[in-house]
Amino acid sequence: MTGDGSVTREALGLNRKKVIAAGLLLAGGFFVLAMTTAAQEDDPVSVSAALAPRAEGLIIARCSVCHSADLIAQQRLPRARWEATVEKMKHWGAEVSGEEADLLVRYLSARYHPGAPDHLPPLDSEVRKAEPFSQEPAKDGPVTGLASRGAGIFEHNCQACHGTGAMGGMGPKLAKNPILKHEDLFWETVLHGRGPMPAWGSVLSHQDIADVHAWLLTR
Amino acid sequence: MKESGDIGRVSRRSWLKTLFCGLGAVLVVNRVPARAASVESDLGSKESGPLTVRVSRPFDAETPVREFTSFLTPNHRFFVRSHFGPPAPDLIAEANWKLRIGGLVERSLELTAGDLKRFEPVTITAVVQCSGNGRAFYSPKVPGVQWERGAVGNAQWTGVRLRDLLVRAGMKEQARHVQFQGADRPVVASVPLFTRSIPLAKAIHPDTILAYEMNGRPLPLLHGAPLRVITPGWMADSCIKWLTDITVQAEEAKGYYMETAYRVPTTPVEPGGAAGGPSIPVEEMIVKSLIATPQEGESVKAGPVAVQGVAWSGEAAIAKVEVSMDEGKTWEPARLTGDAYPYAWRRWQYIWPAKAAGTYAILCRATDARGQMQPAASSWNPGGFLWNGWDRVTVTVTA
Ligand code: HEC
Ligand code: HEC
Repeated sequence: MTGDGSVTREALGLNRKKVIAAGLLLAGGFFVLAMTTAAQEDDPVSVSAALAPRAEGLIIARCSVCHSADLIAQQRLPRARWEATVEKMKHWGAEVSGEEADLLVRYLSARYHPGAPDHLPPLDSEVRKAEPFSQEPAKDGPVTGLASRGAGIFEHNCQACHGTGAMGGMGPKLAKNPILKHEDLFWETVLHGRGPMPAWGSVLSHQDIADVHAWLLTR
Repeated sequence: MKESGDIGRVSRRSWLKTLFCGLGAVLVVNRVPARAASVESDLGSKESGPLTVRVSRPFDAETPVREFTSFLTPNHRFFVRSHFGPPAPDLIAEANWKLRIGGLVERSLELTAGDLKRFEPVTITAVVQCSGNGRAFYSPKVPGVQWERGAVGNAQWTGVRLRDLLVRAGMKEQARHVQFQGADRPVVASVPLFTRSIPLAKAIHPDTILAYEMNGRPLPLLHGAPLRVITPGWMADSCIKWLTDITVQAEEAKGYYMETAYRVPTTPVEPGGAAGGPSIPVEEMIVKSLIATPQEGESVKAGPVAVQGVAWSGEAAIAKVEVSMDEGKTWEPARLTGDAYPYAWRRWQYIWPAKAAGTYAILCRATDARGQMQPAASSWNPGGFLWNGWDRVTVTVTA
C-alpha cells in the first residue's frame, strides 16, 4: 500500500509539474493579465480609471436627464449606499440596464467613496483615450436607419427632454426641425452633445442613432 | 397685481436662461470632445458669484456666509433649493395661475392673484432654512445635496394668512392636516411629486402665511412666484414654492417626500446606519448660529477683531451666543445686537483681542430661551437633516 501510495504521489507530482509548465507556457499571457486585473480591482484609482470611459458616458447620457452630474460627483458613499442610490434612480426612471447599473455602482464606489478627497483631480485623459469609447467600432459606410426601431430608442433616451412625439420640452422640438436635413450637424450634435444636450457616442450605437434619425423624419 | 406683471415678463427665453444659468460648466463638459468630459468639472470653483452653486440643474445654491452681516438677506443672494426647478412659465403665468383649495372643506375655492389681494396683507420677517443645511458636516457622509453653512436666509415675507383662506373655505370636522402642491414637475413623470403637508395647528397659526412678496419685491421665480408657503420657525421643506393646490385632509400627505424623505429618527441611529426605524417629519428648526466675519481662512491684524454673526431658533427667542477660542473648553459671551423679532435671526458681536500672530479657530454656539444649546456636533441621522453643530472659522493673525 505504502509503495503504491508513493508511486502515485510521484506520478502525481510529475503530472502536476507538467501541467503547471504547460499552463505557464500556454496561458502565460492570460495569467499576467489576470494578476493585473486582480490588482486593479483592489485599487479604486485604477478601477475608476478603467471604467471611466463607459461610466462617465452613462452618467452624462442616462443620469443627467433629471439632474446635472454635479449632484452625483459631490457624494462620498460606501458601495451599499451607491447600490441603493442607483436602484432608487432606476425605480424613478433612469434608463440603465442591469449590467450598466452594476458598472455604474463599481465606478461610483471606486471614485466617490467615503475616503476620496473633497476635490478630485480630473481623470487622466490619457487613460481614457486608450479605451475604445464606443461599444461598437464606428462603421465606415453609411448606416440605414429603421424608423420603426427609432420610435422605441427615442422614447427611452430622448423623450424626457424633447417631449412626447419629439414636440419639444426642456430640449427643443425635433419634429420637423431643420437639423434633420443637415445630417452632419445632426450626427455631430447627437454624438458629442451640445450645451445641456448629452453626448450619446458612448451610449448608443450608430445604428441606434440612424434609427432615431429615420423615425424623426417621419414626424 | 405687481407680482403678476413680473410673472408675465418671465418669457420662455428668460426662464430657460434661469434654468440653465448654472450650466456653464456642463456646457464646457459637452463642448470638449465627449471622451474628455469630466463630471468633476461641474464642480469647479463657483464661490465667486453671489451664490455658491451646489447643483446646476435643478438649480441649488447657497449664500456665502459673509452676507449674513446684514439682517435681511437680499433676494438675489438668498439660497435656492428645489427638487425639479421652476415650473414651465405658462403654468404660473397670471392668465392661467389659480390657487385651488379643496379636500375636507365646506366650499372648494379657486382664487386668482387678484382675489388674494383682497385678503388682509401681513408681513413677517422669518428665517427660511433648508432642512439639509450642514449635511456636508455629518460623518459618515450622507447622500443628498452637500450643503455647508449657507442654505439659510432671513427675509421679510408679505402675503395672506393661510387661516384666512381656510376659514373662507370652511373646514370640516375631520380636518387634521393641510397638504400643499406646487406647479413644479419632474422631467420624467415616474419621479414622485414634491407633495408635503403640515398639521392643522401650524396651518391655522396666525403667523403661517402664503407669501407673494419677498423683501418688499414681487416673489422672484426661483423663490416660488407667484405664491409660496412660509411656516415661520419651521424648516423650508414645509415652505412649498409655486403653490397651486391646498388640500385639507384627515391624514398626513402620502408619497416619497413625506413618508421617506424629510424625516428624522425618534430613537438614536448608529452613525452610518440605515433609515427605516420610527421617525417623524422634519418640522421646527433647532437652535443654531453662524460666524459671518471674519471669513474662513481670512488674515486679520493683531488687535481687536470684530467677530460677528447671526443666531436663530425655531419658535423660541435667542437667549445667548458664546464664542470659544480654545476648541470649546471655555466660552465667552457675545453681545446680542439689534432688536429681537420672533422667527427672525438675531445678530451678535464679540470683540476678540487677538494678541499674538498665529492660526486660530473661532467657535460659536447659541442657546435659546427654552435652554436648548447647540452641541459640538449634531447626532447623526440617515437623511443628514437638522445639522446645528458649533460653527467654526479658522483665521490667521498677522503681527
Ligand atoms: C428620472 C429622473 C432621474 C434620473 C434619470 C436619475 N436621477 Fe438621480 N435623482 C433624481 C431625483 C428626483 C433626485 C432627488 C433630487 C433632489 O432631492 O433635489 C435624485 C438624486 C440623486 C442623488 C442624490 C442623493 C439622493 O438620493 O437624493 C444621486 C447621488 C443621484 N440622484 C444619482 C443618480 C445616478 C447615478 C443616476 C443614473 C443612474 C441618476 N441619479 C439618474 C432623479 C433622477
Ligand atoms: C437631458 C436632456 C436631453 C436629452 C436626454 C436629449 N436631449 Fe437633445 N437636446 C437637449 C437640449 C437642452 C438641446 C438644446 C441644446 C442647445 O442649447 O444648443 C438639445 C438639442 C438637440 C438637437 C439639436 C436641435 C437643434 O435645433 O439644433 C438634436 C438633434 C438633439 N438634441 C437630439 C437628441 C436625441 C436624438 C436624443 C436622444 C438620443 C436627445 N437629443 C436627448 C436636451 C436633451
